[in-house]
Amino acid sequence: MQVTVKLFGALREFLPAGSGFNSCQLSIASNQVLGDLLSQLPIPAHKPYLVIINDEKINQQDYLSTNIQEQDEIVLLPPIKGG
Amino acid sequence: MSWQKQILRVNLSNGECTIEPLNMEWANQYLGQRGLGSKYLLEEMDPAADPLSAENKLIFATGPLTGTMASTGGRYSVITKGALTNAIACSNSGGKFGAELKAAGYDLLIIEGESDKPVYLHIEDDQVELCDADEVWGKTVWQTEALLKQKYLDPLMRFASIGQAGENLCRYACIVNDLHRAAGRSGVGAVMGAKKIKTIAVRGTIGVKSADPAKFFKIVNDVNARLTDRDEMSADGTLAMIDVTNRFGSLPTRNNRDIQFEGAEKLNPEAMQTPNANGHTNLVTNAACFGCTIGCGRICKIDPTHFSVKDKPQYHGASGGLEYETAYALGAAVGVDDIDAATYVGFLCNEYGMDPISLGSTIAAAMELFDIGAISEKETGGIKLEFGSAEALCTIAELTARGEGFGQDIGLGSKRLTEKYGHPELSMSVKGQEFAAYDGRSMQGMGLAYATSNRGACHLRADPYAHDFETTEIAGKAKIVKDTQDEVAFIDSSGLCSFPAGCGWSMDDYRQLVDAACEGEWDSERMLETGERIWNLERIFNQKAGFGRKDDTLPKRILEEPAPSGTAKGLVCRLDEMLPEYYQLRGWDDDGNPNAETRKRLGLD
Ligand code: SF4
Repeated sequence: MQVTVKLFGALREFLPAGSGFNSCQLSIASNQVLGDLLSQLPIPAHKPYLVIINDEKINQQDYLSTNIQEQDEIVLLPPIKGG
Repeated sequence: MSWQKQILRVNLSNGECTIEPLNMEWANQYLGQRGLGSKYLLEEMDPAADPLSAENKLIFATGPLTGTMASTGGRYSVITKGALTNAIACSNSGGKFGAELKAAGYDLLIIEGESDKPVYLHIEDDQVELCDADEVWGKTVWQTEALLKQKYLDPLMRFASIGQAGENLCRYACIVNDLHRAAGRSGVGAVMGAKKIKTIAVRGTIGVKSADPAKFFKIVNDVNARLTDRDEMSADGTLAMIDVTNRFGSLPTRNNRDIQFEGAEKLNPEAMQTPNANGHTNLVTNAACFGCTIGCGRICKIDPTHFSVKDKPQYHGASGGLEYETAYALGAAVGVDDIDAATYVGFLCNEYGMDPISLGSTIAAAMELFDIGAISEKETGGIKLEFGSAEALCTIAELTARGEGFGQDIGLGSKRLTEKYGHPELSMSVKGQEFAAYDGRSMQGMGLAYATSNRGACHLRADPYAHDFETTEIAGKAKIVKDTQDEVAFIDSSGLCSFPAGCGWSMDDYRQLVDAACEGEWDSERMLETGERIWNLERIFNQKAGFGRKDDTLPKRILEEPAPSGTAKGLVCRLDEMLPEYYQLRGWDDDGNPNAETRKRLGLD
């Protein structure tokens, strides 16, 4: 299935070529989990980010147990400071 | 060195301008800018005085790194008793004015007394004169700069001015320099207006010397290389935050009734950088303050066909555009998703000299008063002040800028406005100053930071961001808020901007720059103790002005109404649990006053 992934702020430099300003469509098999999806993005390990799916924050330890539904919108946020 | 070791004192009551030596004992204890200006303020005035009276002082303070080649070294602060808050005010600005004042030979400019007729101050190094301001009083900030640049035939002259909002004593009038940078918060422009001083026009040719130039040059280069994330800041500016807070659920919307805004994606960096249906793109370019290698500023153009400006060609050029705080206050806070309307009102804020955060948040409070029927078109003069109305936003902003009609009530700020109409609980403020663009329920540390900020609600007085985005658990937040308040107090006293801390700099990078630029040794312990001393000095000012624990609080909405959506749905701010620990970490008594041991340790007796 295809799901929409949104990468905001500085994370958008890791969007695959041909993506929109902030978002891309990624393919995921029905038995795959959030961790599999995230591994398709070339975000370096040292870059921290926050994952939110349908208004719910997903902790890193849950990436491998979080199932994805077709209508889910997966949002990745950089932990920036205010201004 | 790096201090000029001189202050300029201008007494508006008797017209005297004198140059005095800087108190170097205080400079060594309070560094400069925010810290040193606050020390002079506390020593020289009664904190209980009316902020709009002649007893109040208005201090323009540079830091030791202002005007040097250190990246972002162009900052200055205006320190006074705030017209909006009655608390100590310290409003920080960039642009080029601060560096020019420093290059003219001054660490501080202290303005005291009040003039009986409008005047402006003209400084060219040690040539200082107070001039009759008849030709510019009643003019906008932009007109004032243009007229005086023409008069002196000097395009390099720098100005810090008030617009009509300051003249009319709008409670959150600001001081605007370089057309669109501002000492924005707490009503410092109203204090300037009450003193009847329209602008400071300055030209400096003396320059700034550092204590150890070779070491300083090396460290400037070293730390520049550590601004690793600056490209991200220059690409999107602070506006990048709007997507983060909106998705996280901490973007105050419709007077904090909501904390996610369905229109946020019409105000975000994509909206700013993408052509609209008419082919018009809001963003023109980025811009940098003096000596800055980041350049987070936005220079924008309003779509000339937009209703707000279609018959006003004077607004068709490029000027200072939306940053995150303005996009919140003139967008989400009032429920308006119109980037051109928000940009237009932002232009008005720069032109007439108003703080856009307090303006937007006060209009939001008025919209809620309108929504619940506490005011009607009778009070607003026929304006349908409804959440989401871009037309109402633009009209009421114009009236406020000019001090006309219901705009006079909006110019009171949300605290005085909501008290006047019987609903003080609808003011989203602390110590009378309106919230910045974060909600204290989903960001518990920010709730504590707002409640304890010495100048009223503020997002730049502490750095709880990373921990707040990580967890809503309150363990550890009191310490993070306390420690980062001290760190930020040091940065704000140095002459540098706090944004490099979000682009790769550590506190030690700031420390190394100060250490190389100033005499004496500035180690890490001294840096943090200086920050702590400054924080406590501000607290003592406020204590003498009548503030205490009762004022370290948040609106009922944040303490009692559960977050309506987002990642922290259902939570309220647990301020009551964090505050006692914060007082204890600070070494304060139960009423939040620095205890004898703390005062002694920090040399505050
Ligand atoms: S980072 Fe932004 S606000 Fe700070 S000095 Fe640079 S341009 Fe000015």
